[in-house]
Amino acid sequence: MSEIELSGLEKRYGDELAVEDVSVTIEDGELLCLLGPSGSGKSTTLRMIAGLTSPTDGTVRIGEDDVTERPAYDRTTATVFQDWALFPHKTVLENVAFGLRMQSTSTDERRERAREMLDRVEMAEHADDNPTNLSGGQKQRVALARSLAVNPDVLLLDEPLSNLDKRLREDMQIELREIHEDLEKTFVHVTHDQDEAFTLADRIGIMADGELVQVGDPHEVYENPKNRFIEGFLGDTNFLAGEVARTTAESVVVETELGQEMILPSDGDDALAVGESLTLSLRPEVLTIGESPVANDADPETATVADGGTTNEIVGTVENAIYRGSTVRYSVAIENSSVFVERTVADSGAFDAGDDIRIRWNGADVLAFREDGTRVDL
Amino acid sequence: MSGNSNATASGAIERLWKPLVARSRSKRALLLMAPLVIFELLIFVAPFLILLRISVSEAGERGTAYAEGTWSADAYANVLTSEVPREVIVHSFTIGLIATAIAVAVGLLYAYAIWRADGFTKSLLLFSVVLPLLTTLVVKTYAFRPLLSPTGTLNSLLESVGLLSTPLEIVPGLAGAIVGQVYIVLPYAVLAIYSVLATMDWQLVEAARDLGASRPRSVLEVVVPQAMPGIIVATVISFAWSVGSYAAPFLLGDDVTFAMRVEGQILRDFQWPTATALSVVMIAAMLVVISALVAVLSRFGGEVEYA
Repeated sequence: MSEIELSGLEKRYGDELAVEDVSVTIEDGELLCLLGPSGSGKSTTLRMIAGLTSPTDGTVRIGEDDVTERPAYDRTTATVFQDWALFPHKTVLENVAFGLRMQSTSTDERRERAREMLDRVEMAEHADDNPTNLSGGQKQRVALARSLAVNPDVLLLDEPLSNLDKRLREDMQIELREIHEDLEKTFVHVTHDQDEAFTLADRIGIMADGELVQVGDPHEVYENPKNRFIEGFLGDTNFLAGEVARTTAESVVVETELGQEMILPSDGDDALAVGESLTLSLRPEVLTIGESPVANDADPETATVADGGTTNEIVGTVENAIYRGSTVRYSVAIENSSVFVERTVADSGAFDAGDDIRIRWNGADVLAFREDGTRVDL
Repeated sequence: MSGNSNATASGAIERLWKPLVARSRSKRALLLMAPLVIFELLIFVAPFLILLRISVSEAGERGTAYAEGTWSADAYANVLTSEVPREVIVHSFTIGLIATAIAVAVGLLYAYAIWRADGFTKSLLLFSVVLPLLTTLVVKTYAFRPLLSPTGTLNSLLESVGLLSTPLEIVPGLAGAIVGQVYIVLPYAVLAIYSVLATMDWQLVEAARDLGASRPRSVLEVVVPQAMPGIIVATVISFAWSVGSYAAPFLLGDDVTFAMRVEGQILRDFQWPTATALSVVMIAAMLVVISALVAVLSRFGGEVEYA
């Protein structure tokens, strides 16, 4: 059993709170990604699991044992560091065999096991090389082999891919995923890259300002973020300021900075007062775009069609188009504000700056957040 | 004003630099080295050749240091066969080896402490190392006499506490000479090792601990090999200085080191051939011992970059 339970974990440096009240249970064999911007406390949390940093409060349990007071060398965890931390005066093979030597494994056995690990990460031919002469990707593989060689219950990965170029990083993500599936060990992976977290994780734990804000499977945290920070951190979105204009039994009508009302379906679970300030999130993937209808309305710039209750539509002017490879991103001016929308390159109908564009979305796809950042349960 | 002088300075540099750049690479290197080469030739090589020449001269008549223009191997025979020079050599090497071992061991621990400390503690530790360098060697060595002599501060303190009934004979003695010599070379040992440790990544130690190395083991496995270039420099400095030590054994010791004997033979006894022969033998012996030490130490650590 190598379930990890963190409860009330806290790390304080003087007056500064690096990690605050982190509690989570990481299941046996799970791959949990700790995702957050730099300085969010994710690496510190990982280091407390490894025993490299001692918490100022709270406990760490691995399997059946409370290991809070145990030093790193006495824990069944192994860490892959961001800069890989390979021993420069030892060969690749000696690096991989190091942990086994510390366990007093016999020379033959540890050589054999180290070679086996190097084989697994396809680095066998570099066994006698000096690690300082390896490329970043190769160092990363050696570091992984070195950590796996001691057969740890828990593998901790501290942004090990962040120093690799994009292509290599994506290959290694797939490889890590495969290794995880093979070994059926508990992995905790720290990253600031949401794509990496989505690729790898069974569950994602999002950290901000030292707190673990939300833990859930990738789908859940993306579709159902707990607060505005997470919505903004996971991918790009349009945040619009608005105010509750009126509420009905099945909808909330919000007056937005786009100069028009927006209808959000609601079952009225969460009481909203008229006049309350909200932030609405419109992800580009919920916005469908099309050519502006013939200008038959009095004012096409702000025309709204609210048919069937929750479909919203707005017309604006394309300010600029940014080619982003597989997609084109348009910045659209509406009133005094602007919204960005995306179109995949394969889709027909390109727009140029100055064109009118019609944006349509379902009010049910819009997320609303209160002023303090908490999500409104519509 | 300052702009003007800057302009002249950079103009001067340019005037000097341009013809230098025009030279081929090897010639440029030679030109850049020239001042040092000339300095070494004048200050080291030429006197050493004179010293070599004197060492193979006959002893002088009464009142002269050596017989000019004569050739003789008597001085070397004397150094290698008679009792006293051999004792002097053994004594010098004893001080050298013990002082070096202590200075390097303590230096490593101290450098490690500086490396691990931060903020005020780090500055304090570093400052404490540099501070003794600001006092002249003779004064700080002499200060050990009232401190360590049989009637000195340490002994009276220990006696008053009741830990001692008869005073410790530290000064004058071998122990006193070694204490004084370690105190002289320790700052250099610390700084040599610390300069290497400062560039080392603490994460390497963490990686070792993470893989199951205990604290002492992780230092032995990771820090020592990484610090080896600094340890080698510290060893060479401490050893060369301590074998040739003069002030500490003179003020705190009770036996004659090679430096003291050479001084006596040259200034008092007027035996220049024996004094210079002893010096040449010592230089050769030290070169052999230092090469052996470096060879042994290099085995334990990463490659030494002689850059």
